[in-house]
Amino acid sequence: MNKKMIEVKNLCKDYHIVKKEEGLKGAVKGLFKSEKKTIEAVRHLDFTVDKGEIVGFIGPNGAGKSTTIKMMSGILTPSSGEILINGVDITKHRKEVVQNIGVVFGQRTQLNWDLRLGESFELLRHIYQIDRNEYEETLDVMDEILDIRKIIDKPVRQMSLGQRVKGDLVAAMLHSPDVLFLDEPTIGLDVSSKYALRKFIKEINKVKQTTVILTTHDLGDIEELCERLIIINHGKMMEDGNLVDIVDRIAPYKTLVVQYYDHENIPVHHSCEMIKTEGNMAWYRFMKADITAAALISELSEKKKILDVSIEEAGIDDIIRIAYGQ
Amino acid sequence: MKLKGLSKYLYVYKTQIIRCFTYKFEVYGNILMQSIIMITSAFFWRALYRTGNPVAGVDVEGMLTYIIISAMMSVLLITNVERRIENSVQKGTIAMDMMKPLNIFGIYLVEDLGSITALVFQNLLPIFLVGSLLVKVPTICSTEHIPLFAISMLMSFFINWLIAALFGMWSFTAVNVDALIQVKKHLIRLLSGSIIPMWFFPDWFRNILEALPFVYIYQLPLDIYIGKSSGDELAGMMMIQFVWLIILLIAFAYVARRATKKVLVQGG
Amino acid sequence: MFGKFLKELWHYIDVTICNIKMALMMIIEYPANLAGWMISNPIQFILGFATIKFVVEQFGEINGWNYGQLAFLYGLSVISHALSMIFFVQGWFMGWFVIEGDFDRYLTRPLGVMYQFFFTNINIFGITDLIPGICVFIYGCVKSGFEWSILKAIAIIVMLIGATLIRGGIYIMLGTTSFFTKSPMDFGQYTQEIVDKTTMYPISMYPESMQFVLTYLIPIGWVSFYPVSGLLGIGDSSYFGTSAAFMTLLVGLIVMLVAGAFFRLGLKGYESAGN
Repeated sequence: MNKKMIEVKNLCKDYHIVKKEEGLKGAVKGLFKSEKKTIEAVRHLDFTVDKGEIVGFIGPNGAGKSTTIKMMSGILTPSSGEILINGVDITKHRKEVVQNIGVVFGQRTQLNWDLRLGESFELLRHIYQIDRNEYEETLDVMDEILDIRKIIDKPVRQMSLGQRVKGDLVAAMLHSPDVLFLDEPTIGLDVSSKYALRKFIKEINKVKQTTVILTTHDLGDIEELCERLIIINHGKMMEDGNLVDIVDRIAPYKTLVVQYYDHENIPVHHSCEMIKTEGNMAWYRFMKADITAAALISELSEKKKILDVSIEEAGIDDIIRIAYGQ
Repeated sequence: MKLKGLSKYLYVYKTQIIRCFTYKFEVYGNILMQSIIMITSAFFWRALYRTGNPVAGVDVEGMLTYIIISAMMSVLLITNVERRIENSVQKGTIAMDMMKPLNIFGIYLVEDLGSITALVFQNLLPIFLVGSLLVKVPTICSTEHIPLFAISMLMSFFINWLIAALFGMWSFTAVNVDALIQVKKHLIRLLSGSIIPMWFFPDWFRNILEALPFVYIYQLPLDIYIGKSSGDELAGMMMIQFVWLIILLIAFAYVARRATKKVLVQGG
Repeated sequence: MFGKFLKELWHYIDVTICNIKMALMMIIEYPANLAGWMISNPIQFILGFATIKFVVEQFGEINGWNYGQLAFLYGLSVISHALSMIFFVQGWFMGWFVIEGDFDRYLTRPLGVMYQFFFTNINIFGITDLIPGICVFIYGCVKSGFEWSILKAIAIIVMLIGATLIRGGIYIMLGTTSFFTKSPMDFGQYTQEIVDKTTMYPISMYPESMQFVLTYLIPIGWVSFYPVSGLLGIGDSSYFGTSAAFMTLLVGLIVMLVAGAFFRLGLKGYESAGN
């Protein structure tokens, strides 16, 4: 069933900032006169997200990802446009809507720094009015994936970053929200923490049908988690779609890497482009529509004896680079 | 580019001035609030002096000069050194800061001087203008007192700064110093004569206060300015002020050396 | 409708209890902090009170207020100050919360933002202000020969609630300006200085223009002067009698409503941090 969870309509956000001039002279001048500048952080975004989707927001720094996610989670008021979460306008009915969302910001925590983790959970239990049985059940589920009970008695200030982010994730999921917003959740984490975190996100998505919206710079996150990508740059939507589709559209080619027995007379082929050679190795880029890999290999092998081949897909990093560059 | 010691300090000084000019709103907010406080104080003392008779040898005009000059002095006596030390210790950057080629306390002093320079234009002059227009022109009692006032003010600045630095260095003993800094603030606020001159206090209390360093921060320069004390009495007071300056300087040097040693041995 | 309101109210009370529990746990975590405030805050008010004593000794009665009556006024003023420190002191630091983007968290939770701002940072240390306040107040009661009655006791409690709301409302309004200025300006020191001079001494000593401002525009006069004049029967303003205490509550509610509306307006322009 494709139930619409999030609807974003013609969303815009402007910031007004005061220009500051350099040096002592500029500082003194600023006391009497200052110029205002408007920055259009987000421009006319339109999209919908269905229940149970995991959507990755990617884009370079300052592209407007965080601004968008902050508007969707009720933190910022849009300059114009509309955001409906489960059919309800978050700008107009903040308290009602946020009962149904969870938010984790990688760089900051909502946990009480000085007390044991459990106290922060207890406060959230009261804030979201979760009854004790339900709370224990949710915690059991979390414990299975994240071993959260092991650290529940530890003061937050003594935790490693990985443990703290785990704590924040559980805190955001205690009230079983339908939507989870994650702003760079894996930033600064070690490999095993990243792994645990991704496992957690996939698991709750599967078990609880939680819709997940995340921003990230981590290619691993995108590869492992996101079925759908929304690429934003300069506040505008650049791409929106299935990861595979985007790859096919932006980079509809593969690269065939061929190792010959020697480096003499390395052949070319009319339906592909040889992008580089190195000793007895050669890289051929070919469009999927033009020729199949099998055909290319057999045709090349007729020209020169081949020792080994491998095929490189266009990487996500290529996609992102191309998308950002537009 | 390699800068020599002094020009590095000058660089810190200039940077600090620029930083102080960044928040436009703060500047106007401060002027407004300080003007309100000064005018309220003026009304307060005018009301107390309704009978027109001098109290404790000071008339209402003297008292009004006192509060305007006190407000202007408070701008020169703003310190941030205690917070800087506290932050540096809490964030654990103190060892790194101490190993820099510039003396860490020297930097804090220069930063405070930079802030004060900016504040002279942002606060001190506006306070003077507002006070002169709305309360009275705070003229000094006699021109002969100008150099004395300047000397006393200079000593008062350093006494105040050294006390602040010493309180800041409490943080090396791992105690939370927020409350201690508050204690210091209140002691200076109430025992230095900044708000209520100590000549209103009974003799026994005044005698205690004269033995403490606080009155030499506000009260003495203010006494000189309005001509409350002169001659031998004044000379004696300035001697005690000087002695306090030396005592605090020695205490500071001693504590700073021990703290530096402790930090460098532990490596932060 | 009413049932829903009660449920909502219970929700807030429940969270408040939880917040207070956490605040107490923090004190246990850092006992040295408490010790520090225990020294610092009483020093401030005992010295402040001593100053009043010395001033009265030099100048005699202040506008018809004798020493005992001033102690009564001062005591009640410090108590409402302490209460405002416990519940509303965060208003002084609102600028930092705005600059650092600390409102993000409150906005993503299903409770009022202003409620969360003040009550998740409840300042139990404010109790250290309460003790000297109560001491001076008791002293003032004795010195001024205050005659207790049930009505007067209720009036004092009502007045303290109103006074706390007036102070809190003023802190909120000053703090809210930082949503517009984007500056972390801390008005605490200044506000305290001005409020001290206008709540710990009778405002009848000031010129009429200033009394007008303190009565109608920035109603600090209602924090202590008018209700205490009424209770003690001093001067022209005593014709209000005990009812002045209830006026204080009314003024407090109005100030809070205005402050709340202003805060909402400010919050709309909130821009979070790091953009």
